Amino acid sequence: MGQKIVNRTGILIVLAAIATFVTAPALAQETIKIGFFAPITGPAAADGASAQHAVELGVKEVNATGGIKGKRVELIVYDDRFSPQEAVAIANKLIEKDQVAGVVSGSYSGPTRVTAPIFAKAGVPMVAGYAVHPDVTKAGESNFRNGFLGEVEGGAAGEYAVKVLKSKTPAVIYMDNDFGREISAGFIKRAQKLGAAIVARQVYKFPGEKDFRPFLTRIKEARPDLIFAAGYYNEAALIVRQAKELGITVQILGEEGFDSPKFIELAGKDAEGVIIATNLDRDDPRPVVQNFLKNYKQAWNYDPDMVGASSYDAFKILVAAIEKAGTDRKAVIKALMETRDYNGLTGKLTRFVKGEVVKPVQFQIVKDGKFRRHGVVDNPEVITPPTQ
Amino acid sequence: MIWQQIANGIATGAVYALTTLGLTMVYGVLRVLHVAHAGVYALGAYVGLWAFRFTGNFWIGLVVAMAACALAGVLIERFLYAPLLHLPRIIPLIASIGLFIAMEEAFRIVAGPYALAYDAEVRFGSLALGPLRLTGPQTLILTVTLVLLGLLWLLLSRSRVGLAMRATAMDAEITSSFGVNTRAIIALNFLIGSAMAGAAGALIGVYDNQVWPTMGSVPAYKCLAIVVLGGLGNIPGSVLASFLIGLAETLLIGIVAIPFPRDALAFVAMILRHDPSSDVPSIRSAGKGVGTPMEIHRFRRFFRKDSAP
Repeated sequence: MGQKIVNRTGILIVLAAIATFVTAPALAQETIKIGFFAPITGPAAADGASAQHAVELGVKEVNATGGIKGKRVELIVYDDRFSPQEAVAIANKLIEKDQVAGVVSGSYSGPTRVTAPIFAKAGVPMVAGYAVHPDVTKAGESNFRNGFLGEVEGGAAGEYAVKVLKSKTPAVIYMDNDFGREISAGFIKRAQKLGAAIVARQVYKFPGEKDFRPFLTRIKEARPDLIFAAGYYNEAALIVRQAKELGITVQILGEEGFDSPKFIELAGKDAEGVIIATNLDRDDPRPVVQNFLKNYKQAWNYDPDMVGASSYDAFKILVAAIEKAGTDRKAVIKALMETRDYNGLTGKLTRFVKGEVVKPVQFQIVKDGKFRRHGVVDNPEVITPPTQ
Repeated sequence: MIWQQIANGIATGAVYALTTLGLTMVYGVLRVLHVAHAGVYALGAYVGLWAFRFTGNFWIGLVVAMAACALAGVLIERFLYAPLLHLPRIIPLIASIGLFIAMEEAFRIVAGPYALAYDAEVRFGSLALGPLRLTGPQTLILTVTLVLLGLLWLLLSRSRVGLAMRATAMDAEITSSFGVNTRAIIALNFLIGSAMAGAAGALIGVYDNQVWPTMGSVPAYKCLAIVVLGGLGNIPGSVLASFLIGLAETLLIGIVAIPFPRDALAFVAMILRHDPSSDVPSIRSAGKGVGTPMEIHRFRRFFRKDSAP
């Protein structure tokens, strides 16, 4: 009796297993699933929305032109709420439940870096849009980054400050998080190497600081000829406004955290003349840039920013690799490694070095309430990511 | 430059004072930690911004923000706290935290996740008092704060209503036995305190040119620390504590460059003041109120056990 039940159950299990194996590939063939996570709610919701909107635009474009080899792209979107714990659960879900071909991170360093080892272990290709922490790519060879390392972008800003803006005595103000520390360290290292002397260094708490007057008052005292400021657009707008309020008139040089129409809106006329290091050049005549700027505005009714553009690029880079290699994850990773001279929205990507992108750093200036091209740093000594 | 730092500190202190006032007034009459007060503060910023966009006048925006927050405060008292007051004090506290989170999310849903610009051009000249130079926005903040504090002081010390308010804060039961409608007085406390928070929200919105959904989250806990420092329920004490913390924070980061975030200072001060064996001078004596040692002990007990104080 008992024997029979076991046998019957066994047969059922085998049948169920066969059914799964037979039907699963059939279902999977209809679409190519690409995972996406971003802080859609919570304290970083603004950037989450920006990334999501840009990637959804990318999906629409890919599907409108016939998908990937005739298969539609299906974007599986998760909200990490800016929480690493949440991101771990999402990574496991994307791998096991959704069985995606690849993943795009539209999130910050915190959530992205905890998912990196999970994707690496499962051999799932992941391209991060704008997460800056070095650990994101160190976890394994399946992880790639489309944004700059803090050190690279900071170094380029240092190069630009000394060589182009002719600064000899810059001051530095930055937020106390991974991004702030690394980008300012990169700036200081490069600027000092080129002979500049850092006259003041101020660190502010992030998140939460809104009153930069005490820091700026100290900087004013040191009489710098340029201020390199690191922060996201909310902080950036406050720094720029409060500097003007205190009568500081020297050039302010920012970074990609400033790169948002929100910065210009919040800083108002005080944003005029501010120069930033970023990866999105609005005056780049290439159609990929001009079409994106136009289509994004049309679709979402506001101007895109660096976060959106970088996430869009991350998605498109992954799509290009899948197009080349099919949906086999190993082949996709190999295709990503072999990416050469990719015509990206955020600049011409030369190649990936250990998952880190190599492309020129753009400099934009705020003129009449718009970001405009000011210059570019493409010195290979500066823009090649450190391999150590 | 030290004078510039002092000016920075005074302006910061003025903002803290406006925000903490409501919190201390509510604690004074209800013995409830009104965390949702920070939500009212953010509401003030949003309403002020909306009214400003509608009318183009900052001052109308400020008044509308104060009115809306006053109403919100009265509603919170009537529908959130009043039904919960017979329960252990931890229950209204949890309800308050819940309301605060709900308000933050409501702001996000209604107004979007982005910070909004509050670009009201208020032409306020910079002010020079000897070596002390206040920038235009700082002068605006300080002027409005001092006017509102002055009005509140007049009300509390020169009117019968003020007397009833002070009496209710000392002992609501005995006060009501003298024929004072303490329910109305409690509502009045919420009304005034919330209006002050509304003014603080609108002023900060303009000062920083930013209004965003979670703008209340730092004030939510920092003001709590300041209120405890000033003596729970003690109005002059919390005003003094606000200016002290504002100044101390600014001078510490602006001159000594302390190695920890400035927000920590209010908590360090709170803990130091909290310790009965500590010899840190108390500023409780700055005003007569309910910030008695007994009160502090009740507060401590309240956090140790989840039972009624």
